Amino acid sequence: MIEIIHPGWLSLIVDEGRYGHADSGVPPSAALDSFAYKMLNVLLKNPSGAPAIEVMGKDFSLQIHADVTCALTGARVEATLNGEPLEPWTSFCAQRGSMLKVKAILEGFRYYVGFSGKMDAEWVMNSFSTNLECRFGGFRGRQFVKGDRIRITGPRMEKPNTIHEKNIPGMKPPHVLRFVEGPEMEYFPHESLRRLFEKKAFSWYNVSSKSNRTGIRLEGEPLAFKERVEKSIVSEGILPGTIQIPGDGLPIIMLHERTIGGYARLGVISRADRDLLAHLKPGDKVTLETVEPKEAEQLWNKKAQLYDAHQKHYRR
Amino acid sequence: MEYLRYGEDGIRIVFGDRIDPVINEKVRRYYLYLKSLALKEIVDIIPSFMSCLIRFNSETISFEKLVSYLTEKESRISAFDVPELAVHEIPVVYGGEGGPDMEFVVSYTKLSEDEVIDLHTSTVYTVYTIGFMPGFPYLGSLDERLYVPRLETPRAKVPKGSVGLAQLQTGIYTYESPGGWQVIGKTEARLFDHTTEPYCLMKMGDRVRFIRA
Repeated sequence: MIEIIHPGWLSLIVDEGRYGHADSGVPPSAALDSFAYKMLNVLLKNPSGAPAIEVMGKDFSLQIHADVTCALTGARVEATLNGEPLEPWTSFCAQRGSMLKVKAILEGFRYYVGFSGKMDAEWVMNSFSTNLECRFGGFRGRQFVKGDRIRITGPRMEKPNTIHEKNIPGMKPPHVLRFVEGPEMEYFPHESLRRLFEKKAFSWYNVSSKSNRTGIRLEGEPLAFKERVEKSIVSEGILPGTIQIPGDGLPIIMLHERTIGGYARLGVISRADRDLLAHLKPGDKVTLETVEPKEAEQLWNKKAQLYDAHQKHYRR
Repeated sequence: MEYLRYGEDGIRIVFGDRIDPVINEKVRRYYLYLKSLALKEIVDIIPSFMSCLIRFNSETISFEKLVSYLTEKESRISAFDVPELAVHEIPVVYGGEGGPDMEFVVSYTKLSEDEVIDLHTSTVYTVYTIGFMPGFPYLGSLDERLYVPRLETPRAKVPKGSVGLAQLQTGIYTYESPGGWQVIGKTEARLFDHTTEPYCLMKMGDRVRFIRA
């Protein structure tokens, strides 16, 4: 069993996501940094799809009431086990009664905490992921609060393992997000989009503090709509990474909590840059760049090969 | 049919350009047919008013391959048997605390509150699609006299059971969430339950009638 001593700003149970029910409006609610989530289970020698804790914010601590191997991936954090510093993206053995603390985030925004064994999370519609809005899945359908205790079935001690420094993705701002053109791109006059295409440093946006797990709101110069264009569309399907432009012209990058949207869809963040969305924090500088679908596919293939190689390497 | 790219792992098939029962029925037929194929490469299907969005597993199949497979299957759609529709009655308390935008709707439409309610309850709506949040039915078409725009900046919190209007659509919030619809009333009806199958009370194509609670 583990006990949450301090939950950080937001900590909750996630997995690869809830799929196959989007026609009932049920979104994936997946781990936002899919690579970090996957590598966590690799380090822990857990089956892929095992529940993990996604944490946002420093001052996260928990007490481990079992002999178990733990790991931290995602954002680079300054963490300790019983006061001893821990390496990033490394698994470590904890004795019953150990205290795990995260004091600071050095790079990135969200990190993943897991254990060798299975956390007793609620399985709803084929997933452990917490749907915060609807209050189901994960830990009682909600985020962790101080004093929560969650059981670990079959805790194991595994040989510690580490992801090499060079294989940990960079998460430092400024962030460059590449996107594939969306269905309503033509709602915006060329002049308004020019800066996106020019890939110039003055097209920066700032990540708004109003961002959450549903969407990342960007602040900056609003995009102008063409005259005569309705500022919203007949609601239609959206996928994770869709950039919606509401009436105020400020982009919202949708994450994994919506299946349908009613705002103009400027584009879809390339798969290669989607994990990075987990690490955009309020105040960070962001720029958007367009890419062709083929180019985006190539970017992803390159990254996927690297990821596969890592998974195979560390699974051994 | 035209298969449009949506990002790297999406395919969008558009059946028309407006809210229209005939167009929506085409979407429904296509969606149900596609679902019946049970392709493991298809992760999710999101049917809506006039289009169907497919999320596919781009690790196991390419956009081009999936499109050519779907094109091959097109001829069988017309012979596909679509299931029966259900009719649902939803009681609503209009205006007051549960309907914070009733005042705006009254002033925008230049109707009285009673006229707004009469118009809203006198139509049998079609569930054009389910989405936005689990079980949320997008209902149409609203009487044109009830046309209102969406909020320019969405509200941070709209309570569960809120009945809202946006353009020529009406819908019911199944959970508390942020949202940009003009809220005119509230219902106690349960539209989604994650513990029991079928999870969702309504299906695309079903009919809905609102009544004064």
